[in-house]
Amino acid sequence: MSLPPATPQLLHYRALTSPRLGPWQGVKAIARSSLLLLSRRKLFWVLYAFSILIFLFYFFGQYLMVFLENRVSEAMVRTGGGLFNRTIRPEFVTKLLRDAMHMDGSADTFGDFMWTEGYIAMVILAFAGSIIIGNDFQHNSLPFYLSKPISRRHYLFGKALAVAVVVNFMTTIPAISLFVEYGFIDTWDYYIDSFRLLLGILAYGAALTVTLSLLLLVTATWLRRTVPLVMVWTAVFILSRTVHRWLVDQLMLSPRWRLVDIWNNMYLFGQWCFGTDHDLLRPRSQPQPAYWEATVVMVAVCVFCVLYLRRRVRAVEVVS
Amino acid sequence: MGDQQPTPVLLFEQVSKWYGPVIGLNQVTLELRGGITGLVGANGAGKSTLLRLATGQLKPSLGRVTVRGVDAWDWRAKALVGYCPDNDAFYEDMPGREFVRAMARLCGFERAEANRRTEAVLERTGMADRADRKLGGYSKGMRQRIKLAQALLNDPGLLVLDEPLSGIDPIGRQEMLELFRGLAAEGKCLLVSSHELEELEKLTDHVAILTRGRIAAVGTVTQIRDMLDDQPLSVRIDAADPRRIAAILVSRPEVVGVDLAAGSSTLVVRAANPRRFFEDFGRLVVTEVLDVTRLEPLDESAHAVLGYLLGGSGKT
Repeated sequence: MSLPPATPQLLHYRALTSPRLGPWQGVKAIARSSLLLLSRRKLFWVLYAFSILIFLFYFFGQYLMVFLENRVSEAMVRTGGGLFNRTIRPEFVTKLLRDAMHMDGSADTFGDFMWTEGYIAMVILAFAGSIIIGNDFQHNSLPFYLSKPISRRHYLFGKALAVAVVVNFMTTIPAISLFVEYGFIDTWDYYIDSFRLLLGILAYGAALTVTLSLLLLVTATWLRRTVPLVMVWTAVFILSRTVHRWLVDQLMLSPRWRLVDIWNNMYLFGQWCFGTDHDLLRPRSQPQPAYWEATVVMVAVCVFCVLYLRRRVRAVEVVS
Repeated sequence: MGDQQPTPVLLFEQVSKWYGPVIGLNQVTLELRGGITGLVGANGAGKSTLLRLATGQLKPSLGRVTVRGVDAWDWRAKALVGYCPDNDAFYEDMPGREFVRAMARLCGFERAEANRRTEAVLERTGMADRADRKLGGYSKGMRQRIKLAQALLNDPGLLVLDEPLSGIDPIGRQEMLELFRGLAAEGKCLLVSSHELEELEKLTDHVAILTRGRIAAVGTVTQIRDMLDDQPLSVRIDAADPRRIAAILVSRPEVVGVDLAAGSSTLVVRAANPRRFFEDFGRLVVTEVLDVTRLEPLDESAHAVLGYLLGGSGKT
């Protein structure tokens, strides 16, 4: 196959000095291509479908609770027919939805929802770390990025933006949808009375986004491959949980030992943002460190990550 | 004012680059104003470091690198440069077209413009009809073309190509050479690196020879050959009978001096025309049956340049 003759007018380029959208446009492009790579993995869609199921469970759970409270006056309701014939006590279902599952548009609703969804996001990120970031270091693809009109800072921002999109699409945005839904099915006053909850959702979502993004960038640039990344991720989020439970609940050591669990710290920060009284934190049998202590540890972890990345990105030129 | 030279496309001013205690580039000064310049050097000579400095991927430890007067580290300078790296680590399950499009967006172009440029560069590199296949299924030649396509996206004034012909079959190589010449004819400045001078000579007569982090010579191959002919070179020779060799060499016209220490098996020869000296000495070793155990030029730069001019890869 022969190449077409080199003709100057073929590309119809504009002048070299013409303004482009600057390096921040490159950040969006990096995030977009990272998400595109992630979307090619079946595992991502399986886990994302699971997160949507949880969202739908909360969505219809809230609806059912408000419906039963406001629209059903009978003491007993018969549903189905034949083999599926069931008699339900609406009061029992309402109690279950409100007290056990906390689907009542309260701080617990959003705290539990974001905690659960965040866990799935965390699992996705453990598997996606090498695809989004690790492979660039592993296969030395960075020259393609860094020779374009962006800096290392923009590269990292782009990758962090991709992680942020995943986290927020699974936590913050669905939580806001639940908040909006509850206002629709309850009363309009809910939006005003529970405005702090909306701010809490945003703050908790921001904490999840920043912490998970930084942790993923650090672990993926450090470990690069999926298996070690999943192992470290498991140690950080699962093993630390087991360790603090053993130390505090079994050995009866100070609740401050729970601070080793980053996930628990993020949950405490979230509850702080939702305005939950520290003494009412569930389960009551498990004493927790103070909100501010959890926040300080979280900030310290983030600062450490930033410092590591700063050092790591400087070293990119040596490694590459 | 009218006599002022335009700003060089690429300018290295006394540039040094260290990797910790290792020096990658040592006080390099280089100026490119257009056309095609070949960059040759052995592995570890500093070619990749020089190219990465030129494309703003590395920051010099000392000195300054500018592209059209803008610091190469600045994103505005990067917008003027196209880089085709030597490694082809792609996202294997991404189609070529998508990869080039993603790179276009990375250059800062909006969707419509990125699409238009993607199609234009794919057409130009002869990949338009094969770009929908996944990169993992590409041959080495197709990978080189895709890399070149993404380097052309921003219509660069300076095109930096790191080993662009490696792994390409002779026909594909000829096509790529035609394309490079076409780009140079449009007024673009090309900096092409290679291990082999012979390969670059098909493309350009203007070369820079790099050895141990230093520019050993810049100019046309003829100019460098002439320069080397005028440049005396000291050569160390270890032999079983150095006195006999010294006696033979003293009578040669290109030898201007011989140092021989008493009781030593080493002699140092100063040759006025190194190229002719090495050719003659090779013949002498065979005809006079000389027992030479070591032959080493003492000037590293001249050694490397000579190695290339004699058709090797920087090692004589």
